[in-house]
Amino acid sequence: MKKFLNLLVKEIKELITLQLFVSLLFTIFLFYFIGQMAKTEMKKAGRTQKIAVLNLDDSAFSNELVGNLKTANFQPEMIQGRDKQQAIEKTKASDTNFLLVIPRGFGQSIETQDIKEIETYSFLRSFSIVGSRSSIIINAVIRAMNEYLSNDFLKKRVPDVPPENLKNPIKSKDFVIVKDRMAEGKAEAVAGFVSSQSIFIPVILMMIIIYASQMVISAIAMEKQNKTLETLLTVPISRTSIVTAKMLASGLVGLISAVIYMVGFRYYMGGFMGDVSQAAAASGVTGVIQKLGLTMSTRGFLILGVSLFFAILVALAMATILGVLAEDYRSAQSLIMPMIFLVMIPYFMSFFADPKTLSLPAKILLYAIPFSHPFLTSQNLMLENYSAVLFGILYMLAVFIVLIIIAARIFSTDRVLTMKLRFRRKKA
Amino acid sequence: MDQVLVVEGLKKSYGRLEALAGIDFEVGPGEIFALIGPNGAGKTTALRIVATLLSPSGGKVTFLGFDLKKQPEKFRERISYLPEEAGAYKNLKGTDYLKFMAKFYARSDQETNEFIARARDIADLGKRLNEKAGTYSKGMIRKLLLARALMTKPDLAILDEPTSGLDVINALEVREIVKRFAKEGISVLLSSHNMLEIEFLSDRVGLIDKGRILDRGTSQELKDKYGAKNLEEVFRSALQ
Repeated sequence: MKKFLNLLVKEIKELITLQLFVSLLFTIFLFYFIGQMAKTEMKKAGRTQKIAVLNLDDSAFSNELVGNLKTANFQPEMIQGRDKQQAIEKTKASDTNFLLVIPRGFGQSIETQDIKEIETYSFLRSFSIVGSRSSIIINAVIRAMNEYLSNDFLKKRVPDVPPENLKNPIKSKDFVIVKDRMAEGKAEAVAGFVSSQSIFIPVILMMIIIYASQMVISAIAMEKQNKTLETLLTVPISRTSIVTAKMLASGLVGLISAVIYMVGFRYYMGGFMGDVSQAAAASGVTGVIQKLGLTMSTRGFLILGVSLFFAILVALAMATILGVLAEDYRSAQSLIMPMIFLVMIPYFMSFFADPKTLSLPAKILLYAIPFSHPFLTSQNLMLENYSAVLFGILYMLAVFIVLIIIAARIFSTDRVLTMKLRFRRKKA
Repeated sequence: MDQVLVVEGLKKSYGRLEALAGIDFEVGPGEIFALIGPNGAGKTTALRIVATLLSPSGGKVTFLGFDLKKQPEKFRERISYLPEEAGAYKNLKGTDYLKFMAKFYARSDQETNEFIARARDIADLGKRLNEKAGTYSKGMIRKLLLARALMTKPDLAILDEPTSGLDVINALEVREIVKRFAKEGISVLLSSHNMLEIEFLSDRVGLIDKGRILDRGTSQELKDKYGAKNLEEVFRSALQ
């Protein structure tokens, strides 16, 4: 045990380098910075929107219409004068991004039902996500005005019936059913909330698996490149201990790196998504989610952890075998590619496809990739498909046992020194 | 005199390529036995088999009565191997590297410290031992590795081209260290293609070419047998 600990400490020391620290700190700082910047911009976009208005009509109706925009979270700023070009120049010079021009005779046209077109001007000052929101805002302005107009029209014609009853006479009461639980709510709101809450799970899984694999492949490749492997293989410690120490150290450092990386990523995503939980609580979706049992319990997180643990073990064993094939650090970087693909396939499928609706070959491919199972675990747990979760864990365990036997056999034979894949052409 | 290492009919093939075609030699206590031959003769393969890195295709290797095939772990406890192009862990300081290696052999902390003290003496790198091995020159790395190989006073030190790539001064120092430790009772199996070095260092020599031992004996015996002035001439005559 003492010898194993000695080896494990050395492996960890070898992996935790100043370069690793610097790159992780830099990543966190970068993510935090971008996230904060995005958050500030999003907050700005969420505030009351200023809209410049040139009211050439100046009728009682159009003034009332503009005044009503305040109730729809807009702040109209009236432009004095009668010249459209001047109004455009004035708005351009200000910090307002929208201009609304109400034509002469607009109020009159409402009464004759020959409604004149209003003009909208959006000042695109950047092409960022925030900048591209202008069409959404203009649509909201037009929607608010149409709402006011149609309500006003209906009130005058059918004063005894609320306008809402005329515009949307059919009312619906929506229910969502998950397994044997039912709750009142909209399916898209539930699905949207669950996916927004679990968006991090596949990203975390992917990061941990890739980090840990890269660590172990590099660790073995570096032993070869630095010509230290031969010496290590002649010291009095079992080959299994050498393999295990490398895998354990890589797993630990990979896990820590991924967690640190994810903290930064959380800041980054938080900036773009805002506080989803607060919004959901305000809209009452959280109550529906709880009724449907779509929250992850402590037991659920534990099972997800076990699933992830086995996925890491499979990745480490696979990476150990690939590491033996590597001639040096550079070729190790090429060898990590097949593993990245194996992680990316279930990663994207978990976002875009429902495994149940896939064709049979695609389904077989998905379930044959060991890394698919942790990606599907959180969904399966929420939907109480425990047999699928158990199958995934047992499958990964079986794959791990097979791979570790192969890895241990390679390390106890000549192959650890003689196996290699060449990526560069041999010199003539 | 009981032999420390006995190699009988040792064979090794990589597919169709026959690296060793059945070689025999033995190393006695405190003896320096050298395998000499050109590149690709099979020296390193033989040393790697004795160091338990490669498994033989045939023949028998016995070390202090232990059979290589059955008890390789017994070999590893009491041998020390210095590969030709070995390196050290670049992120570890010299002392940390020595400590790391010493802990595999020491039975107590006191013994670990004794090993490190001996290694410091052999390496003679002074304060540089407190710096990371990544900053060392090739000569310094070689001395550090030799110190690692000898600090535990193994029953058999296997040294593959111990002075490979070293300048004259460093090579001389390494040779003197090896000789000193052999006098203290450590058996040494080494390989080299530097015939003059072998003549200075070894007690007995095995001439190897194309996986076969051409002849064995002390330098003087071989020179007398072939009527040669030095081992280079001996080797040329043996090839004919």
